[in-house]
Amino acid sequence: MDPDRPEQPARRSALIRLGTAAGAAALAVQGGIVLRSFVANVSYDTPSRVKLGLPGAFPEGLTLVPDARVFVSRRGKRFRVMSAVCTHLGCTVRVEASLKADPSDPDTRRATQVFQLACPCHGSRYREDGSNIAGPAPRPLPAYHVALAPDDGQLAVDLDRETAPDVELTVP
Amino acid sequence: MAQRRFWSLRPSTAREVADAIFANFLLHWFPARMRASSLAWTPTFWLGTVSWVLFVVLLVSGLPLMVFYIPSVEDAYRSVKDIEHVVSFGWWLRAVHRLAAHLMVITVTLHLVRVFVTGAYKNSARGSQRREWNWAIGVAMLLCTLLLSFTGYLLPWDQLAFWAVTVGTSIVSSAPLAGTILRQTLIGGREIGEATLVRFYLLHIVVLPIAMAVLFGYHMWRIRKDGGLARGAAAGEGADLHTVPPVVRRVAVVTMATVLAVTALAAFIPSPLLEPANPGVTPNPAKAPWYFLWLQEVVSDTTVRLGPVHVNGALIGGVVLPLVLVVVLTLWPWLDRSPESATGAAFPRERRVQNAVFLGIALAITGLTVVGLLRGPSWGLWWPWEAWPPLPTRF
Repeated sequence: MDPDRPEQPARRSALIRLGTAAGAAALAVQGGIVLRSFVANVSYDTPSRVKLGLPGAFPEGLTLVPDARVFVSRRGKRFRVMSAVCTHLGCTVRVEASLKADPSDPDTRRATQVFQLACPCHGSRYREDGSNIAGPAPRPLPAYHVALAPDDGQLAVDLDRETAPDVELTVP
Repeated sequence: MAQRRFWSLRPSTAREVADAIFANFLLHWFPARMRASSLAWTPTFWLGTVSWVLFVVLLVSGLPLMVFYIPSVEDAYRSVKDIEHVVSFGWWLRAVHRLAAHLMVITVTLHLVRVFVTGAYKNSARGSQRREWNWAIGVAMLLCTLLLSFTGYLLPWDQLAFWAVTVGTSIVSSAPLAGTILRQTLIGGREIGEATLVRFYLLHIVVLPIAMAVLFGYHMWRIRKDGGLARGAAAGEGADLHTVPPVVRRVAVVTMATVLAVTALAAFIPSPLLEPANPGVTPNPAKAPWYFLWLQEVVSDTTVRLGPVHVNGALIGGVVLPLVLVVVLTLWPWLDRSPESATGAAFPRERRVQNAVFLGIALAITGLTVVGLLRGPSWGLWWPWEAWPPLPTRF
């Protein structure tokens, strides 16, 4: 045995290991506590159920409601509410209107107005019904459950409840 | 002999040379003697020193900006507008800070390119070197630089800031499994708001600068341990030059030239400030910061459609590709099997293929960045001299 380095008693080395492990565990737990505090328990974001306005206030076609980042689509008495957030990376899409010539009219005097939705960030395009047709968008724009608020009759949308794209609310 | 109290920048004896290093806090990280070849302008172009000087410029110019900046959604934009238009020389402080940040991204990247093409992360047989670790630390410092720049991008809370960060953090949420919770933890909620601003501000002024300073200390310590600039065995032994004064003089010249360049540019290049952030309206076009434009090009081109299955381009271009690039880049010194004679030599034959691949990737990134710069309304491409078309009717 090396006289300068006497062999450590087993008890001492066990204590050293125990101490090291306790220190590491304490660091890990406290680090985990700090990280956990960063995950929000309460959301102060805008609520997911939002009143958009009285049905009569919306014109025919698509109307953007900027605060809720949704489109209200109106066809007569039928309403749909659709997300205005691009499914690619979350930019707000815009409505673009263009005139499309009627193919049955040789003089091109008649034309119908068609709407498309375009994302300014990476060029994704959607049809009026929200289906994606071009660009990097991986999914159609989701439609949300909409109902009339029982107290004041406004359109009330639930942004946590997606519906099938062809579901419409018919207002009497 | 009487004990000397002062060190001299004009030493007359070898003893005074050593004292200038040992007795001086700022100079003590230099060795007392160096090789004359280390003083050359090429092949290093002094890019590491320039990057460090830019970092110090950023620290110094950031302090007065912190006096005026208020990190809250209500006041951030107004306070930056005041810095730009009301505070005396505030526009200049902001321009210095902004330009130094942009230049630092460029110089740190070029420093990495230089180290790669000269194989300076390779160890020579002489002594016990761990240059591959210093390369890994350097990659971490590049990531720190990019994150520092990106977190600073949000702070003015204008349209440019808001949408660049919206796109950047949406990329995080496309990561599989933990993506959504990661994004919500990063921005402190489902939408970018007060919580995001506070988090980014703290990352920008505390966490990342401290991380950078610690990494920098390690980086410099490793250079000393590894014996200075990398060179092959052919270079021979021996340091033949006193550090004081020639190295000190050269460092001073580089420092002053860098500060002069930033200061002069700041007088001519104004910093943009768009309208206040508006979550309802995305500007057209909306672009990432220029150093992420190549990633933006990739995320907008890599959405894959396999029948009904769509893989978001953000996952491929925003998560998988950068992750693979960073991991391979970090591990490259351990994968590089070229002989020791290729150490510290510019474009040696033995590393021809890997240098070509590396420069090819660098060129591709540069090309995609240029394409990103040319993007106009609705993601179309326009030459800089072309006028953008009127936008279609909006409702």
